[in-house]
Amino acid sequence: MDSFLALMNGFATALTPINLMWSLVGVTLGTLIGILPGIGPALTIALLLPVTRNLDPTGAFIMFAGLYYGAMYGSSTTSILLNTPGESGSIMTAVEGNVMAKQGRGAAALSTAAIGSFVAGTLGTLALTFLAPIFVKLALLFGPAEYFSLMIMAFTTVSALLGASISRGVAALLLGLAFGLVGTDILTGQPRLVFGYPSLLRGIDIVVVAVGLFAVGEALFMASQSSLRTAEILPIKGSLFMTREEWRRSWKPWLRGTALGFPFGALPAGGTEIPTFLSYFLEKKLTKHPEEFGRGAIEGVAGPEAANNAAVAGVLVPLLALGLPTSATAAILLAAFEQYNLQPGPLLFSGSSTLVWGLIASLYIGNVMLLVLNLPLVGLWVRLLSIPQPLLYGGILVFSTLGVYSLSNSTFDLLLLFIVGIIGFLMRRHEFPVAPCIIGLILGPLAEAQFRRALSISQGDPSVFVTHPLSAVLLALAAAVIIVPIILRRVKHV
Amino acid sequence: MNTKQTIAGAGLAIGLGLIAIASVIGFDTMQMQVPPSYARVGPQIFPYIIAIGLAATGAHIAWKSYRGGDEVIDEVEPTDWKSVGIIVAGLIAHMNLLKPLGFVPAGVILFLSVAFAFGSRRYGRDAIVGFLLVLLAYVGFTYGLGLQLPPGILKGLL
Repeated sequence: MDSFLALMNGFATALTPINLMWSLVGVTLGTLIGILPGIGPALTIALLLPVTRNLDPTGAFIMFAGLYYGAMYGSSTTSILLNTPGESGSIMTAVEGNVMAKQGRGAAALSTAAIGSFVAGTLGTLALTFLAPIFVKLALLFGPAEYFSLMIMAFTTVSALLGASISRGVAALLLGLAFGLVGTDILTGQPRLVFGYPSLLRGIDIVVVAVGLFAVGEALFMASQSSLRTAEILPIKGSLFMTREEWRRSWKPWLRGTALGFPFGALPAGGTEIPTFLSYFLEKKLTKHPEEFGRGAIEGVAGPEAANNAAVAGVLVPLLALGLPTSATAAILLAAFEQYNLQPGPLLFSGSSTLVWGLIASLYIGNVMLLVLNLPLVGLWVRLLSIPQPLLYGGILVFSTLGVYSLSNSTFDLLLLFIVGIIGFLMRRHEFPVAPCIIGLILGPLAEAQFRRALSISQGDPSVFVTHPLSAVLLALAAAVIIVPIILRRVKHV
Repeated sequence: MNTKQTIAGAGLAIGLGLIAIASVIGFDTMQMQVPPSYARVGPQIFPYIIAIGLAATGAHIAWKSYRGGDEVIDEVEPTDWKSVGIIVAGLIAHMNLLKPLGFVPAGVILFLSVAFAFGSRRYGRDAIVGFLLVLLAYVGFTYGLGLQLPPGILKGLL
């Protein structure tokens, strides 16, 4: 039981007062931004990167992970009471949850969401604890060719599974890869796509792109759609203590949601959205009360809310063990590792085991804090929902420009932010998914480095990618993700 | 009929825009002077692949939107361009005024433009909230976290 011992050491790290404080800061901030529509974990962590540069990495990561978990807890409150998802992982929660709130059962919906999140978050963290070391062993088998093929697989799955169509997903990915090209080539020192601007030589910072797409693009989009501007906040009605009947109807969806969410988070499929959709439809199929779906079925809240928290735990497995981000937030977390010169993967587990296991242990503690923050104190958080939208977005843009400017005290970054923001607006408006763009930006340069390393080891022979069995399997999977849906569609048409 | 033409227009413009980006990347890559020792696995392969991919995707989107089909990129709701324009103006003003006027005035201008674009007409409330928020951010980040934000006209006062 290596993991068990390591986890106990992790608790020793996580339970120090300073790290408990970071965890509390993270989960509180996470709940806050989860509840506020228009600001999510990816954007918040991106904005925190420049100001946490000098922090102890263990504390910073404990805070970031708490924030990611917390956002999933908080967003259910917004979905249920405002009918607008606080985050994309809570879209399905709004369907039944808001109806429940309208019927005066809002408190029960909030309870099943929070307890379901706790169950799923804890089980997910448990799975992470025991799976991560196994993934690390797998990672030891990986050479440059395998890493490159793994990234190609991540590229195809995120572009195929997210967004309104494959072509839009691919376009978003390629745009991200193009952003990643800008700057000095690491191996030869050649400037690429710099157009004579010295400020572009160090590349486009992921913070600029994430903030541009998530904050500026989103604000422009929300302003452009006046119909999205008004929403009615429902008061919390009913008892937060669920009835025996509600417990009976909730516990299975929690477990099923966890079982769906965790593996989907670990797969390169863009994180929390897809498992919540699947969970909702699964519960709708399995329920004994099909007539209640659409009219406030508690299963429709319990399942998806468990799924999104379990997915967050799942996302951390490939991120920590392989350095592979499977969601936009994970991509920002990878940038955070780069900021501290840490390399996720086997080296991280052997060289910085205090950080990794302290981080994992903090997730158990964070989940308990979140349950307390989100159940008895939910009444306080709800007041955040009454912040008027004009002030909320004004504040988001002020902090966005502050964060981007403080990257290198340059107004040139603000110009880039503006350009990326316009692109983000167009993407949002025409339903291009944003996550492939962020993942492409962070993984593109890494994929290129592995590609060139693999080819220089093989002395320029490109067949390495298909002669190494593991690499060939990954490439085949990558191709299948794109080709199978096309074939299926053809078959359906005939 | 008329709406159908605007539907095609958005997708067509996006497709052509992607092709334009692809040609910029392709052209820039062609200009690179690569030492012969790196010619084989050099810094040009990836840009070329990305340029070709972008051009192909752009052509696909443009063609589908032109011909109509299952991947047409359409307009969902009428767009309030005035609000978009106000935020754009606010952002441009902010980046130009940040250094000469300072973080606080530029931030308040940005805040007010966004609030106005989102339909708020309570100028007094917005100005007070905006000013306090920006001031708090300035004081907190410069004194608390040691960031260097431009003081501008409030130099000496803060």
